[in-house]
Amino acid sequence: MNAIEGIMKAINFETPDRTPVIPQILGHAAIISKVPLHEYLRDGELLARCQINAYQHYRYDAVFALMDVCVETEALGSVLEYKKNYYPLIKKYALSNTTNHEVLSIPDPYQTKRMPELLKAIEILKAELGDEILILGCVLGPMTLTVQLLGAERALYLAIDDIDKFCQILDFSKTVSLKFGLAQIEMGAHLPLVFEPSGSPAVVLHQFFREFILPRLKEIFSGFKKAGAAANWLHIAGHTGSILSYYPEMGVDIANFDYYVTPLKAQKLLPKTCLDGNIKSLCFIEATPAEIASKSKKLLDSFANRGGYILSSGCEIPPESNPENILAMVGATK
Amino acid sequence: MNPTVMYLLRDAVLDGDVSQAIIEVKNLLNTKVKPEKIIKEGVVKVMVELDKKCTVEHFNLLEIMMAGRVIMAIVNELYPIGIPSSQAKGTIIIGTPEGDIHDLGKNIVKIMLMGKGYRVIDCGKNCPIEELINAAEKETANAIFISGLISTIIPKVREVKSKLSRRNLKDIKIVAGGGALKQLTAKSLNVDYVAETVFDGLNYLKELHEVEL
Repeated sequence: MNAIEGIMKAINFETPDRTPVIPQILGHAAIISKVPLHEYLRDGELLARCQINAYQHYRYDAVFALMDVCVETEALGSVLEYKKNYYPLIKKYALSNTTNHEVLSIPDPYQTKRMPELLKAIEILKAELGDEILILGCVLGPMTLTVQLLGAERALYLAIDDIDKFCQILDFSKTVSLKFGLAQIEMGAHLPLVFEPSGSPAVVLHQFFREFILPRLKEIFSGFKKAGAAANWLHIAGHTGSILSYYPEMGVDIANFDYYVTPLKAQKLLPKTCLDGNIKSLCFIEATPAEIASKSKKLLDSFANRGGYILSSGCEIPPESNPENILAMVGATK
Repeated sequence: MNPTVMYLLRDAVLDGDVSQAIIEVKNLLNTKVKPEKIIKEGVVKVMVELDKKCTVEHFNLLEIMMAGRVIMAIVNELYPIGIPSSQAKGTIIIGTPEGDIHDLGKNIVKIMLMGKGYRVIDCGKNCPIEELINAAEKETANAIFISGLISTIIPKVREVKSKLSRRNLKDIKIVAGGGALKQLTAKSLNVDYVAETVFDGLNYLKELHEVEL
């Protein structure tokens, strides 16, 4: 059984020959290949090579064609600052002087800024790995992209003061995400993971999520499925306990849960949805391999009778993580 | 003082109504109520209510932001050139370290600190640690609040205490908060306290205030 078959079995609550394991390895792939992070983030071919190296070293079940959270906003005109070995920072937001999104146009993913580099990475990964393991693309959720266009404070105050205007930008962001994700599927991604950290209950109430974010995510996921995505994967970290029960309505097949939510609670809230999580990200820097192995085993045990589980971290494994810790997590499933 | 006006002020803050709050502040000032009392009886009491409502599990950032905007307007109305040192509960330096531009949390904490009557020096986002330390020394600060969402800033945060010690500033407390930093313990991060929420940080300061400040 190959990795994709194993993951599909987990999604369908069937029994794979082992529990799939997907450490969320993004920039860490550059570090272990001794490639400067700021170069990895701007070069699709380099990104693909590093992801393949990381996969060959750790032997897990998915690779990530994911640069950072600024790809879409940069394509829409935000100005980024790239520092050596850091993820980029937004220096100026695309809508820093206006709330009129009509000054922006939907970017062509094949031509705009780093979007084509990300598509190139997917193409290379697909050519080299085929359907051996899951190839993940990534798009931002509409709330997160809206925050990335306006800045967090302005976005949230706009939601308070002028909800109609806010929703217009949310709709615009949804269209950007959908178009970018469809291009990723076209280039060979098995699915574009939807990353929506600003939809977390740490930022907005669950009622706000249900009213404004849920319908737009639903549309995005529906579009991805129609285009042939193998599954829909939603990634929101933090205290998601109050929104997890909304996931099935959006068509989510794999739900990320972070260390704030216990496996038992996640299982109760999503009895029929495949879950992935939830080792605390910083443990991959701070803990020992034995501790990671123990946490992994505990998680595997808690899902042993239920199934529908992918062993993972609650969020990104930090670039500077100890490789032995990642090996310990992967090893726990074998 | 007509106590109803203070209630009206508190309602306006909770309602996120800046204009109404300023009207009530002016009414209170016209009846010779001192700014310190307006902060203590009006703003701080609202913050206690928000603190009770906003637990880690049920955190309502939008409500806090709505109230925060009103609190900022009230503080600016009462102290247009900032809270004078003589009237402040203490001086706090706040910033998001270099490499991180996520400053929403920092800005919320800043407003709430000001609402509690602290003098706050905001070093901004993407701020070198040395700048925070320089500001703490220059302003004879009681504490440095460091907010950070991403893990790459952790090594820099760990350096702050030793850098303060080298300048004989070891009495300055360091409080950390934000997505990445709150995954660690105070000991591991080499700070005095790791705050789970804005109110947790304020309560730590309150306890400290009763003992030392």
